[in-house]
Amino acid sequence: MNRLLPLSIVALGILAFATLMLVVVPGMQIRSQSPSPGLLPYTQAELRGREQYVSLGCLYCHSQQPRASDQAPDDQRGWGRASVASDYVYDQPHQLGTMRTGPDLLNVGARLPSQAWHLTHLLQPRAIFDWSIMPAYPFLFEQKPAAEPGDVVVALPPGYAAQNGVFVASQQALDLVTYLQGLDRTYPALPDAVRDDGYAEPDDEGRKP
Amino acid sequence: MKRNRRPDPTPPDESFEPYEEPRTIPIPVLSIAVALALWGGLTLYQNGQAVGVGQQERADDLAAQPALGTDSGAVLFEARCATCHQPNGVGVRNAVPPLMGSEFVAAAPQVMTQILLHGIDGPISVAGRQFNGHMPSFSSVLPDQEIAAIVNYARNRFGAPHSSQLAIDSDFVAEQRSKYPNRGSWFGGEEIAAVLDTTLPSQPPARSGSIESANPAVLKLINDGRGPAWACSSCHGSEGQGGETVPRLAGLPSGYIAKQLKDYVAGDRHNETMTLVASTLTEDEMTGLGNYYSRLRSPSNAAPSLGGDLERGEQLALEGDWSLDVPGCFSCHGPSGFGVAPGFPSLAAQHPAYTAAQLAAWAGGQRDNAPVALMNHIAIALDDDDRRAVADYLATLPPVPATGGPAGDDEDE
Repeated sequence: MNRLLPLSIVALGILAFATLMLVVVPGMQIRSQSPSPGLLPYTQAELRGREQYVSLGCLYCHSQQPRASDQAPDDQRGWGRASVASDYVYDQPHQLGTMRTGPDLLNVGARLPSQAWHLTHLLQPRAIFDWSIMPAYPFLFEQKPAAEPGDVVVALPPGYAAQNGVFVASQQALDLVTYLQGLDRTYPALPDAVRDDGYAEPDDEGRKP
Repeated sequence: MKRNRRPDPTPPDESFEPYEEPRTIPIPVLSIAVALALWGGLTLYQNGQAVGVGQQERADDLAAQPALGTDSGAVLFEARCATCHQPNGVGVRNAVPPLMGSEFVAAAPQVMTQILLHGIDGPISVAGRQFNGHMPSFSSVLPDQEIAAIVNYARNRFGAPHSSQLAIDSDFVAEQRSKYPNRGSWFGGEEIAAVLDTTLPSQPPARSGSIESANPAVLKLINDGRGPAWACSSCHGSEGQGGETVPRLAGLPSGYIAKQLKDYVAGDRHNETMTLVASTLTEDEMTGLGNYYSRLRSPSNAAPSLGGDLERGEQLALEGDWSLDVPGCFSCHGPSGFGVAPGFPSLAAQHPAYTAAQLAAWAGGQRDNAPVALMNHIAIALDDDDRRAVADYLATLPPVPATGGPAGDDEDE
């Protein structure tokens, strides 16, 4: 170890270069992003629902990042256009996710706008899809002998309905559904929006940048 | 570890520091390093190109949105009017009124503007001949500038020399748009002559009878749901307009809707949510829902969203592509994709995500509920880009105009 100084300088230099390329430059790219036109801040109810989404760990099975058609057939699945950085301006912390055990949810509010559907599906996914492997969330609901004024009763098919009484949605369930209904990034992305375009290639007609 | 059996003849130099002579890097290692560096450089370059392509794609997607208003009147006329009124504006005898020599085109510009904005549903007399008017409303698919461009173009070309040559602008259209905000179609020439321009020649009387109010039980299903069945409107919208992968129902043929509901129950069409809902309905309720939605009219809320090539989509819709053995959509689904009852659903103003997903399902065999396998063959012949192109094009069309009489469902079933 007779050249400690040059070795440390080179090692630190490599670290600094990696930090620059992987942290500083992307940070500068993202920092300048303003919200997409068409993207609204979350409402209070949506923010409460978002907390439920985070704490229930929806992220572990559901991504929130539809891919471009160059990468995955997400547009054919009806999950919407590829998302861009400006779509996540209000997401702190982001819920991008990488696992796709379930479908992508960034545009779930556009394709599944029904509150009643979501309540049924959260209480018992098997009531709708007998093959579903999504966990049920019965603790977000309350079984009551009869609905009181203001209660939201969950529609359930025979076999899943309460033996006596009704299932009523809790405030947490309603907030979570409000958040899911609000997930809608179907407005068009601006041309200068930032995303991973690494898979976009000029097509046969020679469309060039 | 090897040990020297014999001691060294000379004792080692205690102050000696081992060192290594600089040696040249072996050629194979050097070439691998150079190749990696080249690969890295190439990747960076390609990535830079790809960002440009991606931005171009997004710019194209944005340009595919209607509401830009940059097209000229001639281009718009060709794309929007000529399918029915013919490229030379003479119409179709006994079916589509002519624009050439039409008193309505020659009249003050608000007449044509109002007809484009609201459409017509009822008898109308043009150039001495009577027609049963079924004109779609363009208010939800064309911005003010484009309506102004069409009116100016058509009045100059077909209205002269009777019309005043005064051109209108988008402000005029915006003002006309705000005049009758919530009305549906004009009930034929009589109403137009009475409300908009009393100098028009005498017009046939509008059809009598009021719109039959929907069965209250059916309305309750639509708005409130029943038991395990969620309300139809909770997904399909209060006006049956749908969104994304939820289809627009307004204006679909009644028989088509009832058949799909039956197919969901019988397992011939697959969608767990719809199967659950349909299994709670009686046959009468299915028919009632079909009747309700087939008469419902709502403005288009669809827009191209898949980045498809709209020109290619228009070609597929109008002419098809016989090199692929694909007939034009309109040859079965009716002119402008307004549907042909009871078997062929309307395609106009349908959401592109739904249309493309259904085409993919026809191609993959997940959907197979037509009497003949025509749609399967078409969907298989179309590649991914074609499916997106045609789905995006169909979303730019105006929604289905009123068909059927006020009280009847005369074209359905």
